[in-house]
Amino acid sequence: MLEPATREERRIYYKEEWDIKQVPDFIIDSVENREFGFDHFGKGPNDRYKVFNTPGRLKSFLKSKTPYAAYCSVAYYQKPRKRDGWIKSELVFDVDAKDIPVRTCGCDNVCEICLNEAKEIVSGLIDTLNDDLGLKNFHLVYSGRGYHIRFLDEDVMDINSDVRSQVLKYIVGADVPKEEYDDGNQKYNPPHFIIPFGYPKVFTERVKYAILHLTNESKLDDVNQKLLKDVLNNRNLLQRNQWGLFKTNIGPIRYKKVINAIASLNMGLVDAKVTIDLKRILRLPSSLHSKVSMKCTEVKNIEKFDPFKDAVPEFVWERK
Amino acid sequence: MISMSFINPLSDEGKEMVKQEGIDLERIFDENEQIINIVNSINSKEKAVNPIIPQSYFDLVIKRVEWYIERKNDPKNVKNKFDFLFHPDITKLDVIAFYILCQAIGIKFGSTSRESRAIAELHGEIIENRLKYLQETDKLEIIDKIMNDFIIQDRIKWTQLVDLLSSKKISLQSLVLKNGEVILDREDFIENFAHVIKNQRPERMYNVFIGKKIKELIMIKMIMQNTEDYIESVHERANIIEPNPKLLKIANEVSEVLSREIRYHGSFSGPGGAKASPLNHDLFPPCIKLALEGIKSGGRNEVIVLFLTPFLSYARLNPSVFSNNNTLKVSDVDPDLKITKNEILPMIYDAADKCSPPLFDDQPQEKININAKLGFGMHDDFSIQHEGETKWYTPMSCDKVKMNMPSLCKPDEVCKRLKEINPLFYYIDRKYR
Repeated sequence: MLEPATREERRIYYKEEWDIKQVPDFIIDSVENREFGFDHFGKGPNDRYKVFNTPGRLKSFLKSKTPYAAYCSVAYYQKPRKRDGWIKSELVFDVDAKDIPVRTCGCDNVCEICLNEAKEIVSGLIDTLNDDLGLKNFHLVYSGRGYHIRFLDEDVMDINSDVRSQVLKYIVGADVPKEEYDDGNQKYNPPHFIIPFGYPKVFTERVKYAILHLTNESKLDDVNQKLLKDVLNNRNLLQRNQWGLFKTNIGPIRYKKVINAIASLNMGLVDAKVTIDLKRILRLPSSLHSKVSMKCTEVKNIEKFDPFKDAVPEFVWERK
Repeated sequence: MISMSFINPLSDEGKEMVKQEGIDLERIFDENEQIINIVNSINSKEKAVNPIIPQSYFDLVIKRVEWYIERKNDPKNVKNKFDFLFHPDITKLDVIAFYILCQAIGIKFGSTSRESRAIAELHGEIIENRLKYLQETDKLEIIDKIMNDFIIQDRIKWTQLVDLLSSKKISLQSLVLKNGEVILDREDFIENFAHVIKNQRPERMYNVFIGKKIKELIMIKMIMQNTEDYIESVHERANIIEPNPKLLKIANEVSEVLSREIRYHGSFSGPGGAKASPLNHDLFPPCIKLALEGIKSGGRNEVIVLFLTPFLSYARLNPSVFSNNNTLKVSDVDPDLKITKNEILPMIYDAADKCSPPLFDDQPQEKININAKLGFGMHDDFSIQHEGETKWYTPMSCDKVKMNMPSLCKPDEVCKRLKEINPLFYYIDRKYR
């Protein structure tokens, strides 16, 4: 498992196992408005600007070319062949297990542990996108090494890159919440963890996740080994949400250093380039991730989804 | 007490005012004693210097637009002579002028026109300034009243505030959100969050976290949107009935005022000031000259989109942006966008083409990003109707150039003399000094 697929295995996959019915409806329904791209030699998707007017044509292409990787655009175009006449783009978040800034496994590529951590992160992001931002129409796709969260709520499909980047920063907790508020009569300096709503709440959740997943080897900006050790020694307090005590034990100035470092670390939870690029192409759900021999799979139930069971092509089980 | 229609002429109160007063289109251009008397009285209360006294409704409409234009060009000197626009005593007359203005623009231009956008923006700025002059208690009361009206009619979703978010006037993080709705109402706040707030009074938390400034900005945005919607509804009706020639005349006059040449009053003004004028390649700083030759290694996108696009557009259209601290849009200086399309974009595209590999070959989406950095949103087409969806990026400072694209920074004697602050200063210094 996780070994690259051979050319013959790709052929077997697309001829025998893959079917156009496995491509999710949200792509099939807009197939003629999307740009498709392919990587035939494992060197990146250089065969781009492909258009298929019907699902049948896409099916024939994949079955005959058996590409190393297949992609389709998050954007809808009037003229997808020229990427012209942009109509709208899905709002997308890409969580790659390999690039999660805090991983407890320490593996070089991806493994069951970091894929599970990616799943935990994805669940948290989806909750925020649902509860705070009111976005409900989404599809979760296991990409082969992580997850793509693809939102199709009409309200957000035409927002620009600047606003997409603000959404991203909001859901990952990329900025320390402001420290001073003013009710008109007096200034008020509540720490983020006593505010149980809005962005401070999201930030508190993300900081908690990060601290609980730090290891001795973790590298945080401006946090030395001594401070890291103190954070690790006190983090059990956060499991009981005893933030005040945690902050006191660490010391308020050092606490500030820790949350500043985690805020910048959080930016790495999601690949920002993917979110802000309105014309990005993403791996086509149901296609083969040949580098790791896994299927890019739409996930219906994140709790039950197990990539090592549900996204493994049959040819892998038959390998000697 | 301040009338709601002083801030929102489209409120029920404002509509009722128009119904009662009536707009006699035949007399729009006639001298109107009521206007003259009220403005005179305001001017004497405010001790206005060189006051303007509109003589008719037509005049009042035009003065609103002139204030908007003069304020952009010369923000320091405009306040006093237009004081009457910001005094509550003008409310009734101003509501009628507002409706005349919107109807004229609606009939002639519709809601996707530059004129319509300018009128909505103009009204937004009038509101912002009127609120500044109100007593704090009056201001809070009126914002609450207007916002309650909006919230009762419809919940406000964060996605309706994309313009405000794009312009960075508010940040998503500063909003309190629940299920996509922006929580602004006290009752809503308490209903949604009282059960999770511990050791604090929810009412106090509401006062602290639902900021007055946010409410104010959202209210202004909603009124601006309603103004554009109203103009559109007039435009739709105008397609079925014959347009009134007097309103058409006003529309033409307003359009003419909006198109007046922008005048600059920058501190960089040597003889003649730093005006919009054709670019002179020979006077560019070394970093810009290098960027125009195309980038052969990494960082093509940043150089073309973030560095070159703002520099060339500001150097050509608004060179004194930093000294005037103005907030012009591209179309304020280049109303038909011909300069941008024929002079600026070709230079940017040419530099992109000289990159290795040519930027648009593998990253055609960067054309959209260039449009965005000029303030025209994330669209393929470079069109006036998208202007304002994004911010017109100002030229990058020398510090940022050094940090992000160090290979471009080869300071010469002029750079050193100017203390390497911003490449635009180099160009202005050589061109105008």
